[in-house]
Amino acid sequence: MKRYLKLYVYFLRFSFSKAMEFRVDFTFKIVMDILYYTVNILFFKVLFLHTPLLAGWTEEQMMIFVSSYILVDAISMTVLSSNLWWLPFHINRGDLDYHLIRPVSPLFFLSLREFSASSFMNLLIAIGIFAYSLLSYSQDISAWNVLLLILLLINGTLIYYCCQMLMILPVFWTQSTKGFMDLFYSMGIAMERPDKIFKGWLRIVFTIFLPFALIASFPVRLFIEAFHWPTFFHLTAVSVSLWIIMLYFWRRGLRTYSSASS
Amino acid sequence: MIQVKDLKKNFTSHVKEPGLKGSIKSLFSRETRTKEALKSVNLEIQQGEIIGLIGANGAGKTTLIKILAGIVHPTSGEASVMGFVPWERSNEYRRQMALIMGQKNQVWWDLPALDSFILLKEIYQIPDAQYKYNVEFLAETLMVKDQLKTQVRKLSLGERMKIELMAALLHNPKVIFLDEPTIGLDISAQKAVRVFLRQYQKEFKPITILTSHYMEDIKELCPRIVIIKEGEFVYDGSLKNVQRMMGDEKVLSVTTQEKTFKVNVPRMELAKKTHQIFEENEVLDLNIHDPSIEDIIESIMRSGVTPT
Repeated sequence: MKRYLKLYVYFLRFSFSKAMEFRVDFTFKIVMDILYYTVNILFFKVLFLHTPLLAGWTEEQMMIFVSSYILVDAISMTVLSSNLWWLPFHINRGDLDYHLIRPVSPLFFLSLREFSASSFMNLLIAIGIFAYSLLSYSQDISAWNVLLLILLLINGTLIYYCCQMLMILPVFWTQSTKGFMDLFYSMGIAMERPDKIFKGWLRIVFTIFLPFALIASFPVRLFIEAFHWPTFFHLTAVSVSLWIIMLYFWRRGLRTYSSASS
Repeated sequence: MIQVKDLKKNFTSHVKEPGLKGSIKSLFSRETRTKEALKSVNLEIQQGEIIGLIGANGAGKTTLIKILAGIVHPTSGEASVMGFVPWERSNEYRRQMALIMGQKNQVWWDLPALDSFILLKEIYQIPDAQYKYNVEFLAETLMVKDQLKTQVRKLSLGERMKIELMAALLHNPKVIFLDEPTIGLDISAQKAVRVFLRQYQKEFKPITILTSHYMEDIKELCPRIVIIKEGEFVYDGSLKNVQRMMGDEKVLSVTTQEKTFKVNVPRMELAKKTHQIFEENEVLDLNIHDPSIEDIIESIMRSGVTPT
């Protein structure tokens, strides 16, 4: 564990020294993401001009939800996205070779190697928005509750990661260029909606099979509504199974990996 | 020690006709083709030994190396490298093994070599003293001391290959797989790599499997060679024996007005054959010499003579 932390510190160091070289990229990314945040916040602000409650939430509660998924998005953008973007290319071109021979988890290496330093500012902004939405909340909140919310959002980031990986891993068999990433991007919007709006089979899909509703909506519901054990168990059970399934397909994928070569 | 028994590897791929029409057709019905990359090979290599693996493109060299390095799972058969099953990929095995591929990079492109090395030190948990000694020793023998702090992408191909070698050997591996380490290098860089490898082998005595298309590499480094043809070993023995195998043959190199050609002739028929050539052609030049190792290996690869 300590060794992996140490390795991650090196990843950070390398990424920052690399990012300093590309300043245009830096500013461009900041502008893009601030735009994305503003649009998301405004969207709900406009809705609340017409109604006092949405999916059972007031405006300030909704802002906690919006800032929560913005935070999850910012974390995964900074920590994971450029790694996952390249993963299908690496698999297809046979670039996993050197990762497989090292005495260190190849999944760790391939998922976390590139820390996107140019998104780092955005992560700070997202943390700011998140903190602001909590501080301006009119009800009493305990420190424990805040801690739980943060932990569940980190878990949400892991769910987001697993869903994305499950769309990428078919590349091992199909040798396509992106796997089902387009499906992921079009479904991903489900994470930006309160889970209460999903009914019937759609609810089953988004809370169990592609559990986007568990990324931010469930954690926020546990935070602003009374703590509800069944919801918590549901969240834990799906998260753990998703992780196990992802690892299973990763291992199966490596078995079929044929390493395109010279 | 490496032991390989009845190792087989099949690759299946889809056959697609060219063009859009072919693509559409392949959506509905797909023909799959199975290629036997390795057909039941056997091999035994002792600690400290270095062998040359020779074969044409696609003969199965790289497949064998990738299986032994644990990257690719075999279809069937057994292999044990120092007691480990390579494709189980235990950390203990991986800590003692190194793979260098002339066509793929392992050091980080955008970073100076030293940064990649520090990362490797952490990955392999190389003790400080050993790390310091190895960087010093390797940089010295490979003559790349001044290049360690330059971003790798700014280095020449030859310098980059030396950095790759350093990166792969920092943790003192006991088994080394070298897949075409001299590919694309100029003569002097090739020579430098060879000299280094020989010195390294002498000093650390690892098991080494080397593949190369340059016979110079093989001749200078490998007392024992394995020739692989279409997934099968057609020769496994000493390099010297290969030469002796065709010891009673001579080669005639002939140049006429129209063409240049070579004929292998048993020594006993030399006079007769030479005479015949002079009669049938307008000969400008004729040389009689022993077959070179290159010629012998090429003829084995072509005809697949299995020597006794």
